[in-house]
Amino acid sequence: MFKKKVTLKILLLLIVSDILETAIHFFFKKGALAESEFSVADFSSALVFLKAVFSSPFLWAGLLTVIVVFIIWSTVLSRIDLSVAVPIASFSYILVPVVSVIFLHEHISVLRWIGILLILMGVIFVSLSSKERTAQGK
Amino acid sequence: MREGLLIVLFMIALTSLCDTVNQLFLKSAIDSLNFSPQFNFIKIFKFIFQLLIKPRLWLSFVFSVISLCIWLLVLSKADLNFAFSADSMHYIFIALASRFVLKEKFSYLRWLGTGLIVMGIVFVSLS
Repeated sequence: MFKKKVTLKILLLLIVSDILETAIHFFFKKGALAESEFSVADFSSALVFLKAVFSSPFLWAGLLTVIVVFIIWSTVLSRIDLSVAVPIASFSYILVPVVSVIFLHEHISVLRWIGILLILMGVIFVSLSSKERTAQGK
Repeated sequence: MREGLLIVLFMIALTSLCDTVNQLFLKSAIDSLNFSPQFNFIKIFKFIFQLLIKPRLWLSFVFSVISLCIWLLVLSKADLNFAFSADSMHYIFIALASRFVLKEKFSYLRWLGTGLIVMGIVFVSLS
């Protein structure tokens, strides 16, 4: 099936979904931060923790954003190929660490940034390979 | 967080695995319906309804809820930037699952991409 080129509108939608995607992870992290510690060895403490997290407004803000992102993605993917959309959308692999440093005061070493860039390249390659498959007539 | 690194990585692997199972069930449920993409609201609603009565869709939903719960446990233990980067290991599981369970064909570009993700996760975990 032939699909149109990336227009400005599609690009804007992708950028918005990138930002919202980052917001989801920020919300989930905030929801998980708000609550008490649990011990990995103690299953019932994990349940107590989850019960507390599910009553956090941050978690529900995150889940609501998941639905919004899903709707934006469905719209985008009805217009352009997945192999084009994913590389643009994987901008969130950079955006999430940046948000973590600025708003959550996390520390990221040079080695970790290199790792993040490798993952980003890998994700782009994997998504480009789906285009290759389509081009082969499959 | 250092001493808990292995536990956190194991939990991230677990949530990625649940995610992969979720995707496999979803893919199998959608494939069994033979839907051709069209802008026809009646057809889309019919498609969604047919999907909702598939038990596989609900299995997929159960796994995504389990995956979310484990993910929240991970986030309470690890930095967001680490967890988010390491979570890209679901690309590896999905690659293996689509190759060996769904028997999809693989190009060298996909193996290369998957390899880069593996290297990236190792780098992120070492730092």
